Amino acid sequence: MTAGQEVAKRPRSAQRTSLWGWLLALPTAWMVVFFVSSMVIIVLLSFGRTTNDGYPAFATSTANYRAIWNEVYLELLLRSLAYAVATVIISALIAYPVAYAIALHGGRYKNVLIAAIVVPFFASYLVRMYAWKALLSDDGLVNSGLRRSGLSDGITFLNTSGAVIAGLVYGFVVFMILPVYASLERLDKSLIEAGKDLYHSPVRTFFSVTLPATRAGLYGGVLLVFLPALGDFVSAQLLGGANTYMMGNLVQQQFTEGQNWPLGSALTVGLMAALTILMVAYLRGTSTRGREI
Amino acid sequence: MARARKLERKPPFAVGMTVIFFAWLYLPILAVALFSFNDKKSLSSFGGFSLRWYDDLVHNDALLDSLVASLKIATVATLGSLLLGTMLALGLERVRSRRGRVIGTITLLPLVTPEIVTGVAALLLFTGIGLKLSLTTVILAEITFSIAYVTVIVRGRLVGIAGEVEEAARDLGCTPFQAVRLVTLPSLIPALVGAGLLVFALVFDDFVLAFFTTGVDPQPLPVRVYSSIRFGVSPAINAIGTLMLVASALLIAAGLWIPRLFNRDTSSLDLITGGDRK
Repeated sequence: MTAGQEVAKRPRSAQRTSLWGWLLALPTAWMVVFFVSSMVIIVLLSFGRTTNDGYPAFATSTANYRAIWNEVYLELLLRSLAYAVATVIISALIAYPVAYAIALHGGRYKNVLIAAIVVPFFASYLVRMYAWKALLSDDGLVNSGLRRSGLSDGITFLNTSGAVIAGLVYGFVVFMILPVYASLERLDKSLIEAGKDLYHSPVRTFFSVTLPATRAGLYGGVLLVFLPALGDFVSAQLLGGANTYMMGNLVQQQFTEGQNWPLGSALTVGLMAALTILMVAYLRGTSTRGREI
Repeated sequence: MARARKLERKPPFAVGMTVIFFAWLYLPILAVALFSFNDKKSLSSFGGFSLRWYDDLVHNDALLDSLVASLKIATVATLGSLLLGTMLALGLERVRSRRGRVIGTITLLPLVTPEIVTGVAALLLFTGIGLKLSLTTVILAEITFSIAYVTVIVRGRLVGIAGEVEEAARDLGCTPFQAVRLVTLPSLIPALVGAGLLVFALVFDDFVLAFFTTGVDPQPLPVRVYSSIRFGVSPAINAIGTLMLVASALLIAAGLWIPRLFNRDTSSLDLITGGDRK
């Protein structure tokens, strides 16, 4: 490249950069105003207090955090974690065989089958939760079926931990299926054949070849299911009762019924902190395991 | 030969699970759709075909107001997030600096933040700056949340468009703005249509953000449906639920298929699964 070309090119690339820079400015400003600042406010208000006439006010007290640290709330946190973990495990047990069957044996129906899973999941979460509730309710289809067949007088599904977890799985299992499906799709099928050539049983081939090769997708799914499951309040609200309430229900109550916004903010910050710690630990865990192999 | 055929044999466990899974996935939805046509009020026995619950809906003014409110929210939020998300995607794809990466990360944060946190934070922000909760605040929150979806989808498409084509347009005398308007944007249309339909469906159905940022009246449709579900289940909710499911399923199906008409070599399902891959 001659010196002349070099000079001719420079102003243009400067011009380019400034154009792209300007394009970034507006959306960045938007995100700072409407997202970043709202997160800052929630952290600040978690150190705040409620005035005598019931309004939230900024302050510098740790009273809210001390208030969270009691048996009732800690039990609720542990219950939420247990529900979220159970949701992740059950989702994985359902999602893996389904993704496997579609990715490796779906043939030309692969895309249709995946679309058939995606469409209702991306369509209304609320309506699906409602549908699940209607099916399980005391006078719902399942119970009337049981009564008619004479198997039982009906089972109380609602207001149990099982119903809440089932609702969470019903709500979020797609976030497990998609990444697992994506990694199975990209799996080198000749690896499976190699396993067979070495006279591995299908089960052994699965555990020594297929599963390790697709664990990235599985880990991705674990994260994508865990995050929304821990923060959910709809499932416990519609399918559970007071003794199955999760963190999300507690937060929601403080902001709508309880009217203690500073305490609600502290609970929200606590939820975010718990998630961040778990996510960092998880990312560390998965990356070390990745290095070992 | 025998072994080769054995490789092709479908694993009975995985196939069985898939059949059960689809039954479990669709049974509740189909039951709701079926009982929305029930002549009786019962949720367990079918008393004959009737449109009486749909008739109820058409005469329920509060519900119709909510429907209109949700349509407004979804339309404005879709247009707003398409504009901002596309600007962001173009900027991020072409400015490969550290600053760009920081901005990219910030815009993706709403995707990994539990919705209840985003909703509560938005509520605090709006009341903090003295905005009265209304449809406007719902729209602002929904745009903030949807920008990330648009950005992910448009960036996915931008990777496929070589920067050289833009460069060529510049060499032919285009200003940078013209190059984007005449070359880059037209080739983004399939991605924009897909992203637009997806965001419209997501926002129209979104409950959590709307729940925290809405004012008194008219409430967005999902919020109104939620309050009625809390009082129990009724065939009228079956009807509205069925309509909501059909509407969003159609939108999403269109969002998956329309980009494909423009561009046959990429599966538009990748738009959605690709979003999760990051």
